[in-house]
Amino acid sequence: MPQQQENYYDILGVLRDASQEDIKRAYIQSAQHLHPDKNTVAGETELFLEVQQAYEVLSNPKRRAKYDATLPKEVDAPSIIQHEALVSRPTLVRLREAQVIYLHLEIAPRAQSAQIPAPPLNVCLVLDHSTSMKGDKLDVVKSATIQIMKSLRAQDILSVVAFSDKAEIVIPSTLHLDRNKMETLIHLLQPFGATEIYHGLETGIAEIRKNTGPSRVNHLILLTDGHTYGDELASLQLAESAAAQGIGMSCMGIGNDWNDIFLDAIASRTGGNCAYIAKPKDIQRLLLDKFKSLVNIFADDVILDFKPQPGVRVNYVFRLTPDGGPVTIEDSIHLGPILQDTPLTVLFEFLVEPSAVQNESVTLLDGSLRPSITARPNPIPPIRLRITRDVKADAASEPPPGKILSSLSRLTLYRMQERARVESQQGNYDAAAKHLQNLATHLLSQGERHLASTVLFEAENIKKIHTLSEEGSKQIKYGTRALLMAGSKEKVK
Amino acid sequence: MTIACPNCKSKNVPGTIFCSECGAQLLQSDTLVTQNISTAQVHEALASRQNHPQVSPPVEATAWASLHLIDTGQMLPLTDRNEFTLGRISEGQPIMPDIDLSAYQAYAGGVSRLHAVLKRVGTRIVIMDLGTANGTYLNGKRLNPNVEQNINHGDIISLGKLKIQILLKN
Repeated sequence: MPQQQENYYDILGVLRDASQEDIKRAYIQSAQHLHPDKNTVAGETELFLEVQQAYEVLSNPKRRAKYDATLPKEVDAPSIIQHEALVSRPTLVRLREAQVIYLHLEIAPRAQSAQIPAPPLNVCLVLDHSTSMKGDKLDVVKSATIQIMKSLRAQDILSVVAFSDKAEIVIPSTLHLDRNKMETLIHLLQPFGATEIYHGLETGIAEIRKNTGPSRVNHLILLTDGHTYGDELASLQLAESAAAQGIGMSCMGIGNDWNDIFLDAIASRTGGNCAYIAKPKDIQRLLLDKFKSLVNIFADDVILDFKPQPGVRVNYVFRLTPDGGPVTIEDSIHLGPILQDTPLTVLFEFLVEPSAVQNESVTLLDGSLRPSITARPNPIPPIRLRITRDVKADAASEPPPGKILSSLSRLTLYRMQERARVESQQGNYDAAAKHLQNLATHLLSQGERHLASTVLFEAENIKKIHTLSEEGSKQIKYGTRALLMAGSKEKVK
Repeated sequence: MTIACPNCKSKNVPGTIFCSECGAQLLQSDTLVTQNISTAQVHEALASRQNHPQVSPPVEATAWASLHLIDTGQMLPLTDRNEFTLGRISEGQPIMPDIDLSAYQAYAGGVSRLHAVLKRVGTRIVIMDLGTANGTYLNGKRLNPNVEQNINHGDIISLGKLKIQILLKN
């Protein structure tokens, strides 16, 4: 059977019923990296011409209708990824109050397509070398950077940006490096100045952009130990624009004096993750792990586009694997990467208003999954994701799927921690202490004595002096997050 | 239709699976994966109490109440006297609770040497925490120390982490 020719919709990577806006957005995105002024890989100019032609037809409603008439009926072509959606309840209940329902979404490569070669990297390390990094921290960061440089393959690109209150390019983004010379340059880094994260990110992203290509894993890794002041908003906007160009960002916070909420927000806007490094000696291991997972990438990011449904709110989204972390809820949600050996799993909580359950059935989610797969220059057609539930008068007695139950049991601990933190910020100290105590009870019963005692210590602190220590709150947050990941790994085994 | 948590009694939005206040599982848990949740056993006990009260272990004939140690399944009948202190005997200390719980992992469970007192006052049965470090809980709710609290058949008290179900004769 002859290979079925790609139709214009496939070329742009949109669904058949895509709106003009979707088509335009897809066109601009493809054009950005395939344009003859920008592209680097042979054959991309031809692809650009195809994209151009597809857009010319589809953007004109009359021509589009004529073209549609020539297309064979839409068949669900097997995509190179597969997904499984589990919902906590088979039906919704007709209630006069709001109700919640959970969705567990797992996205994995289809077996035969997992054999793609590991894509080359285009990574920028953005290193904080402010005065506070002096001593152990900076020394370990330097030696870890050198270690990583040595472990890179010939096709990988690693640039290094160092920042304090200004940023400098230590190693530019290029394929042709004199690695010995670079090593010396890294060694020469000295602690100096204050922490201004925006400068570092901006310079780092500019370096990555020199070599961005859809066939590379484009990623920025920020290592910092400090708070930044006044440039948070600009940094977040930068993260959003980076994400739109296929650049992921991950953050690593060293010690206790960094703003975890801010760094989580940056990472989650790009589908990246944020790690807590308690002690300098862990820097090297965590950084090497990060590179290992970057080399292991199957899809750099999966974006969920969805239309808000009347009476249904996406309340909470959390990525369970790989690299668990909160996910920022927007119209286009960056869910995170798929690794060759680790599926992307995400848990959603929906709040369904009474107005919605007046109908016979409720659409919880109507949208599509757009994976960007590094090894393929063309966008792959999005996968439609539509989750609906019938409304019944009575609750179904069926228990929720095991996967939802086991992941929620751990996520609940993480959310209790989040809640206690918000409450302590709002001055609601009793509630915060109570939630921490409840959390400690669960941790103790799971044998997490160390973490439990940290939690209890913080609960006492809140009661007595009405503060949550920076150290304790980070240990608790990343400790409960690590439990989530440990749990999901067990499941894989 | 809000779901009241069997552990802490707080109200949860319908459809919730784990209590947003205390993290306890809100469903009956016979067939479900619950291994990581310590309170699951409490729920099972509560669920079985609600649905099949007849399956509770029988109370010994002469006892006015029995303590059902949930984690290990043993029963301790209470006879003769109307007041019992609960705790654990520790070596070299002259504190002697009426009921020594050391054999039931009292130490690991955080039970104090003198932890609580259980009394029969007329037809009422009361429990009182003796100002302990880890506290006494009645159905998941921490009791104020040195205040008597009525208990009913099937209630779960926790001394620290050690869970005991109270089974009354009548």
